[in-house]
Amino acid sequence: MSESTGTATPDRPADLPAQSPPVDPAVTASLKEKPRTGGLSFWSGDGGEGAKRNLGLIGVLVVLIVIGAATRWDLYSNPDWVWGNTLTILKLASVVGVVTVGMTFVIIGGGIDLSVGAIVALAGVWATTVATQSYGAGGMIFTAIVVGVAVGLVNGILISYGRLVAFIATLAMMVAARGLAAQISGKQTQVSNNSFINGIASTDLLGIPLLVYILAAVVAAGWVLLNRTTFGRRTVAVGGNPEAARLAGINVRRHTLLLYALSGLCCGIAAIMLTAQANSAQAAMANLYELDAIAAAIIGGTLLSGGRGTIIGSLLGVLIFSTITNLFAINGLSTEAQNMVKGGIIVGAVLIQQVQFRSVTQFLSRNKLTTPA
Amino acid sequence: MTQPRDLSRRRLLFGGAAVGAGVLLAGCTSNESTPTAAQTKAADNAEGGNAAPGKKVTIGFSAPAADHGWIAAITNNAKAQAGAYSDVDFKTVEAGADAAAQRAALSTLVAQKPDVIVVLPHDGKELNAFGLESMKAGIPVVNLDRAFPDALAYRLQIMGDNYGMGVAAANFIVEQLKAKGVSNPVIGEIPGIDSLELTQQRSKGFADTLATAGFKVANRRPAEFTADSGQQAATGLFQALPKIDAVWNHDDDQGIGVLAAVNQANRKEFFMVGGAGSKKAMEDIQADNTVLKATVTYSPSMASSAISLARLIAQGKGMSDLVELQVPKEIVLASETITKENASNYLKLGF
Amino acid sequence: MSKEPTSPTGDKAPLVEAPADTVAGEVVLRLTDVVKTFPGVRALDGVQLEVRAGEVHCLLGQNGAGKSTLIKVLAGVHRPDSGQVQWRGEPAHFANPQAAMRAGIATIYQELDLVEDLSVAENAFLGHEPKVAGFVRRGLMARRTREILSRLGHGEIPPGRMVRALPAAGKQVVSMARALSHEARLIIMDEPSAVLAHDEVDNLFRIIRELTAQGIAVIYISHRMEEIREIGDRVTVLKDGRTTAANLPARDTPTRDLVARMTGRTIEYVFPDRPAAPATGDELLRVDGLSRTGEFADVSLSVRPGEIVGIAGLVGSGRSELLETIYGARRAESGTIRMGGRTLRPGSVGAAVRAGMGMAPEERKSQALLLGEPIHRNVTLATFTRYARLGFTNAGRERAEAERIADDLQLRPNDVRRAVRTLSGGNQQKVVVGRWLLGDTRLLLLDEPTRGVDVGARAELYRVIRGLAAQGVGVLLVSSEVPEVLGLADRVLVMREGRMVREAPAGELDENTVLDLVMAGSLMEGAPA
Repeated sequence: MSESTGTATPDRPADLPAQSPPVDPAVTASLKEKPRTGGLSFWSGDGGEGAKRNLGLIGVLVVLIVIGAATRWDLYSNPDWVWGNTLTILKLASVVGVVTVGMTFVIIGGGIDLSVGAIVALAGVWATTVATQSYGAGGMIFTAIVVGVAVGLVNGILISYGRLVAFIATLAMMVAARGLAAQISGKQTQVSNNSFINGIASTDLLGIPLLVYILAAVVAAGWVLLNRTTFGRRTVAVGGNPEAARLAGINVRRHTLLLYALSGLCCGIAAIMLTAQANSAQAAMANLYELDAIAAAIIGGTLLSGGRGTIIGSLLGVLIFSTITNLFAINGLSTEAQNMVKGGIIVGAVLIQQVQFRSVTQFLSRNKLTTPA
Repeated sequence: MTQPRDLSRRRLLFGGAAVGAGVLLAGCTSNESTPTAAQTKAADNAEGGNAAPGKKVTIGFSAPAADHGWIAAITNNAKAQAGAYSDVDFKTVEAGADAAAQRAALSTLVAQKPDVIVVLPHDGKELNAFGLESMKAGIPVVNLDRAFPDALAYRLQIMGDNYGMGVAAANFIVEQLKAKGVSNPVIGEIPGIDSLELTQQRSKGFADTLATAGFKVANRRPAEFTADSGQQAATGLFQALPKIDAVWNHDDDQGIGVLAAVNQANRKEFFMVGGAGSKKAMEDIQADNTVLKATVTYSPSMASSAISLARLIAQGKGMSDLVELQVPKEIVLASETITKENASNYLKLGF
Repeated sequence: MSKEPTSPTGDKAPLVEAPADTVAGEVVLRLTDVVKTFPGVRALDGVQLEVRAGEVHCLLGQNGAGKSTLIKVLAGVHRPDSGQVQWRGEPAHFANPQAAMRAGIATIYQELDLVEDLSVAENAFLGHEPKVAGFVRRGLMARRTREILSRLGHGEIPPGRMVRALPAAGKQVVSMARALSHEARLIIMDEPSAVLAHDEVDNLFRIIRELTAQGIAVIYISHRMEEIREIGDRVTVLKDGRTTAANLPARDTPTRDLVARMTGRTIEYVFPDRPAAPATGDELLRVDGLSRTGEFADVSLSVRPGEIVGIAGLVGSGRSELLETIYGARRAESGTIRMGGRTLRPGSVGAAVRAGMGMAPEERKSQALLLGEPIHRNVTLATFTRYARLGFTNAGRERAEAERIADDLQLRPNDVRRAVRTLSGGNQQKVVVGRWLLGDTRLLLLDEPTRGVDVGARAELYRVIRGLAAQGVGVLLVSSEVPEVLGLADRVLVMREGRMVREAPAGELDENTVLDLVMAGSLMEGAPA
């Protein structure tokens, strides 16, 4: 193909440079600055396309809430209950939400982290050993975060310098970290006796649970990191086209390593939150969180092959899942049906995204904005 | 029992070095609960001379890898009970992750020709064939808790009563509600992993017994036998039921999370019954400062009994209180209800 | 050297045809006035071709002459817009590659399209396995594969062996076995010798001779003159999508005549004027004794500030690998790379970029661009950290810089928020080159900068490259289009099979000489072998 387009015949004068302004003198002229209008909107970081998709997800959320109101009007007619329920949904979303922020970075960066649930369990268990608890809340939080980051670093080293496929490296870590957690805990449920830690899950500030503030802080930090920092730019570049990133001088391996460490950090934070919620930790905790986080990121519009995704979308994905869980709980429906609906929503969301994408490209080619080359 | 303590010290040293956080190093204390002496039957307490050292016997033991306090307690109890007898040689094999792995592990055990095998199968149906084979080869099999469908596959079956647990929990709830004069109560249920047969049996016993009093379960949110899943299930339950009279939570391990959720949602209007009989649950019941007012047992002490009876089978002795000269073929433990009143008696059996 | 048959600009080259019937055998394939256009490009612009049973018909032409498109038309991948394809006397329309296969035309592409983890027999009969009731008759398949392989003189290849385990030559035999399993009457081979070692080529020729002896026609594409002389019967030359010479005898036609048919201007290359005084000063880049096994050996070169150095060479001559090695994207096995006198850490793109290098790689889409991202983020991909403070990007500054570059390069459309995916090839290339106009690039490495770029954008790119040189940036340029190298570069290096065979100021070389050097070196004088 490239060979065929490499030549051109002069019978298409439109392509001749006659049209273009006189040649030169040079790029030196480029230094003259040309003022531009139109600033950056708040959403610009997430991209216009992403913002539109997020509106769709908000629509899904609204539909779910309407279904809830229609089926349990006896509850929804009470504004206090509705407010309390909203906070409950947010609290339910908080732990997975924090994990999903890290997962979103990893997936945008072209990887996958199957070990997040196991890291949460390991960090939670390590933070609640009798030894660690003797150092008080500070020691427990420090331990959970250090363990999370350390395991993430091991993942990152295996993947970026050991050249293991991310799927395999983190699958191995998933098994190994749960094993280590079981070993440390002696397979027991370790009760947290620290009232500060336990209080994280039961404290409200200005009527809003502390867990929700933590989620909001992590999401906000994640958004800024992705959209306003060089780290975020590198993430998109490394995931979108690792070869192009490398040839542009970006250290792809080091960045990949950092992405997994970031995911580990989020797991460490989530471990504290989950330990606080359950007043305990054990090796089997945070079961299948990796799947919840991946699913939330995907319905939030993150491309599994990397290079595209939004933090807001991922958050909405998590909220959709926790709203469904809540919807089934308040209606007393079985969890089997709930899982089937979740599966359907994942498929539906991806299908809708594909249709949207296809229609965009069709529109562009119809308007001859693309040229096959 | 110094060995587990040493092991855990090494674990913590290793872990501390790995993280480089000195915080973790000091105050090294084991988190692995060593079985209390009370959960085993001390050899010298036994009557009728059955405890007196007899013929030297080898007991093989296999249970699934513990991912739950109850299973961990089973293994620990079995080990401790075997250690109490000077005439027992105890050989244990890890059962691995599933029935196939356990089958493989058991075949290596059979090759060592023990006098009797005690097994807690991953799945009674899947390991039935092993039981038949082993019995045929002349090695009696003691099935612990998960029944083999084939009567020829075991010499002794000792198990808890899942249906009976539901019955006991329902009976306590009905009794309490009747005493309070509640006529149309809102009852919640938090089972464990819903796809397991034992969970279904427990729920059936619960529902059947409630029905005799004209009550029913208003909402049922399954958890996964873990504290964090218990917390989430309970949170959902509270959201669905703004006012509750009673809750049965099937498992005391996940109950830690359920109680956390109670605390976080600030719900005190109901009372709760637990399941299995963990030490912490018993302590809470005794202290009477939570909504947990009772728990129905499914005691891992059955492992200790299984070892004792396996020894008797191997030595050809009967249970000294019974007339029969041999150990019976089936023993189903009654599910007992532990309340504030009797908690002190049971505390030693808590795991 | 004769420039006699150079064609007049823009007109159809006169068709030179040798007297017919130099080869026996009936005509199996005849193409008359075949035209194929792609948006913006007339890839085939009136091709004539006649192939007879039992002959080896060679196709010659520069990169971009339309050979690949022609092959794809014959293989049923593309359908011609107009003109006639006659196959064994009947007008033929191949709707898809399967149809061409069924008709008896098999194509062996340069990148062999074998399934590495299937066996030899499974590959040979892929898609048309002998079956009974839905079950593959493995025994029969193996037996027939063995027959075909011994027909090809390679009975020693076990039909059950995994293709992955075979050497390149063995894989090629399997590709041919596949062609024969379809009972092909015409086999098209696209540079089959490119993947082979020297002695393996002899074996390939032996196989080709056996095929033609059985009456099978072969279309053979190669840049190596000596091969065409040895195996070919007749030659057809393509230039700019047209047949400029047909059915020349392969053995006796003088090389200079063939080369002349391939060259000459029909494209309007608009090169900016070369500055009168060539660049002087200290060497910016100095490469000594650079080698990588199987790619290039003992390459030394230098680039001065403001100088454009062009490397001419065919695909596979090691030029892209050389450029990537200088850039640190590949690690040199021996030799040194110095920028401004300081030796660079080998195998580190970061070190090269920090030293002031920039590169526009050969494969724009897969190696240089984030297709889904907007233009401005692609332009600032190598420099966004420079505008950042404390790790926070400066979006406004980035946009402004990108817009400046877009204006400067006359990017169309000029909206930098547009995704790069929507740009034409030429504008995508401007984005890649534009990336290095930001920051302080002192040496720009350009690999095929105008591949897939239309004429208008080409002229703009030339202007940009010249403009950069005028500012003192050194440029190292690789292109398979000889006129481009000659027109743009101050100094030209000719590379063939991993070695530099000639170095001279651009003014001292002409197209025919260079083409002759890159192809066979038969007219080469005084250059190292």
